[in-house]
Amino acid sequence: MEIKIALAGNPNCGKTTLFNELTGSTQYVGNWPGVTVEKKDGRLKGHKDVIIQDLPGIYSLSPYTLEEKVSRRYLVQDRPDVILNIIDGTNIERNLYLTTQLIEVGIPVVVAINMMDLVRKNKDQIDFEKLSKELGAPIYQISALKGEGCIEAAEAAMEVALAHKRGHAEVEEHPHVFMGSVEHSLAHIEESIAGMVPDESLRWYAIKVFERDKEILDELKLPADLAKHLDEHVQDCEREMDDDAESIITNQRYEYITRIVDLSVVKNAPKHSLTLSDRIDQVVTNRILALPIFVAIMTLMYYISVTTIGGWATDWVNDVFFGEIVTDAATGFMESIAAPDWLSGLVVDGIIGGVGTVLGFVPQILLIFFFMSLLEDSGYMARVAFIMDRIFRRFGLSGKSFIPILIGTGCGVPAVMAARTIESPRDRRMTIMLSTFIPCSAKTVIIGMITAIFFPDSVFMAPAMYFLGIAVIVLSGIAFKKTSFFAGEPAPFVMELPAYHIPALKGVLIHMWERARGFIIKAGTIIFTVCVIIWFLQTFNFSLEVVEDVENSMLAYFGNMFAWIFAPIGLGDWKNTVAVISAFMAKEQAIGTLAVLQGVADPDNDVAVMAGISAMFTPIAAFSYMILNLFDPPCLVAMATIYREMDSKKWAYLAIGYQIFLGYAMAFVCYNLGSWAFYGAAFGITQIISCVLIALALYFICRPAAPYEKETLASHQA
Amino acid sequence: MVPLLSARAGETVLIRKITGKDEVRQHLAELGFTVNTMVTVVSDLGGNMILEVKDSRVALGREMAMRIMY
Repeated sequence: MEIKIALAGNPNCGKTTLFNELTGSTQYVGNWPGVTVEKKDGRLKGHKDVIIQDLPGIYSLSPYTLEEKVSRRYLVQDRPDVILNIIDGTNIERNLYLTTQLIEVGIPVVVAINMMDLVRKNKDQIDFEKLSKELGAPIYQISALKGEGCIEAAEAAMEVALAHKRGHAEVEEHPHVFMGSVEHSLAHIEESIAGMVPDESLRWYAIKVFERDKEILDELKLPADLAKHLDEHVQDCEREMDDDAESIITNQRYEYITRIVDLSVVKNAPKHSLTLSDRIDQVVTNRILALPIFVAIMTLMYYISVTTIGGWATDWVNDVFFGEIVTDAATGFMESIAAPDWLSGLVVDGIIGGVGTVLGFVPQILLIFFFMSLLEDSGYMARVAFIMDRIFRRFGLSGKSFIPILIGTGCGVPAVMAARTIESPRDRRMTIMLSTFIPCSAKTVIIGMITAIFFPDSVFMAPAMYFLGIAVIVLSGIAFKKTSFFAGEPAPFVMELPAYHIPALKGVLIHMWERARGFIIKAGTIIFTVCVIIWFLQTFNFSLEVVEDVENSMLAYFGNMFAWIFAPIGLGDWKNTVAVISAFMAKEQAIGTLAVLQGVADPDNDVAVMAGISAMFTPIAAFSYMILNLFDPPCLVAMATIYREMDSKKWAYLAIGYQIFLGYAMAFVCYNLGSWAFYGAAFGITQIISCVLIALALYFICRPAAPYEKETLASHQA
Repeated sequence: MVPLLSARAGETVLIRKITGKDEVRQHLAELGFTVNTMVTVVSDLGGNMILEVKDSRVALGREMAMRIMY
């Protein structure tokens, strides 16, 4: 018999950690609320017919954000066989708010109190027996991080589901959450709607009717006279309690929880005492220090990972490891087996040159991911959203938009998906359009390469590209907000912050490796394929004969067809054109293709790849090449994700269109004005167009905003 | 009654009233901000606040902190 166990709980309470522990998978775990935005399935280790489902975190079953809606709809309508409710043991009171609602849905609930290691460390006392009896649900103690008690809890949930399916389960009485006239009204509603809803969910539907939950009322389609009659009852109750229905339910729920928590939980620390974590927050979110600390941390991170240590490691891997050791070995091997020229060309120029160069950047990528994981796991990244909110809000964006942007430093695909945690559709669309402007790991390869070859003395080039990404996002945000499409206040900032903790080295390393692995796999698949195709097209002509002069190859023919497009930004050579176009398959290809093509520039192949590439550009053209690749649309996979997440053709095309225009325009301005300012080019028509483009951008950024209606803030007595 | 904005870092106060749209108040309630609950101001970044409520730490934007009265 197949059994579905749904993992439900508050955001950031450890559901995904538990999911990974139970299923042996390696889903992305982050230390901020809202990492999981989609339901994920896996099978319980040792039980092939048990499916574990990881749901996005929710605070209650009254949905506020998109992923809360996903979770609620799934639990109530698709009905898993059992809910394994994960509770953060350091914060039982708030977590039980959801638990009481889950029990009302009528699906059997098994409670797992997580973070028991921390509870013990804090010396808090929990009377599990009493709590379990009050809730009418079995309770298990676990530590998902340490792997304690997890399988036991899941197997217990499995047994409960089996008993329930066979009809053997004892019917547990619902906990007595509501009192007095509220309980009376709920009982009355239950009587009236019995038969219209599944029996076991009667209580849940009754409460939703009492709260006038729109989605549920639409679903039930109560006869008009009954609806009116029930509403009168609710109104009577509201008058008696002098409060609105939703607040009545919330308050009684919390009163009930406070009662049972007082009976069963004794905290060691005095109430409302400030912890070490709070003291850290008083420094890093300090009004004056918050921003400088953030800028210093990010600069240091890029300085170490790209410019210094990571840069040295990459130089060595590219010049010595792939440039000499592997190349010499491969060349020697090819000679020893007397391979034809074309074959050794394919292996040495095509594969080692192209794929090897991209792989050469693994040290930099590993370091960036290492620091990112460290910052995230410690809890700092969640604070960054809070710090940035104050700045972003001035430009009409919410700090929540910053989380997708942070994720975007790894990869644009999860970044675009992370935008789902943003409540307002307007802000969500805008965040999807903008979050890929932050340099992802693939774009970091481009930055690393161009910096290393053309601007080796510049300490700040790499961090500058990161902050330029943020600037482009902020300025685009300002301009967008002034159009009628996006006008309006961003949703207010609300986010739970995890307590700081010292990152576990093992976890950080696993995290780093998981992300870096994706990068390496991509190098072995997409980059490999594209490099072979590029090599093939540049080696043969249309009659499939090996060309003497690369200018007669198929690739040159195709490149020349499109080169005119890129000539105004200094990339008119067909080789650059081909590199830009191939980069849409994967951004690393912007470097991979150059590496394959530079083999052609020097047939004896006695210079290192880096030196070969340096001959292909002037510094200003290289800069333009970098800017174009950083700000034009991301790779195909990311574009497909944008298309899917926008859920609208119009918006998807607008997003991609904007990215094409912006990337090209920025490269145009940088190349033309740069050539004039630093390299003595004459001030001509292209410089005038550049100035017009800048003026246009300034106009869109500075013009007055489109009028919009302020949302009214109806005040209610609470 | 004054909004939470006027409380200083380190201060613990009793929530007396929460204003705003139903939906917003509901979300605040889910996070633990209800009338007659004690909250402690952990940090104040120009109106954006980190608050301790029911043993969790919640960051609120200025316009949210304005709605909580004590």
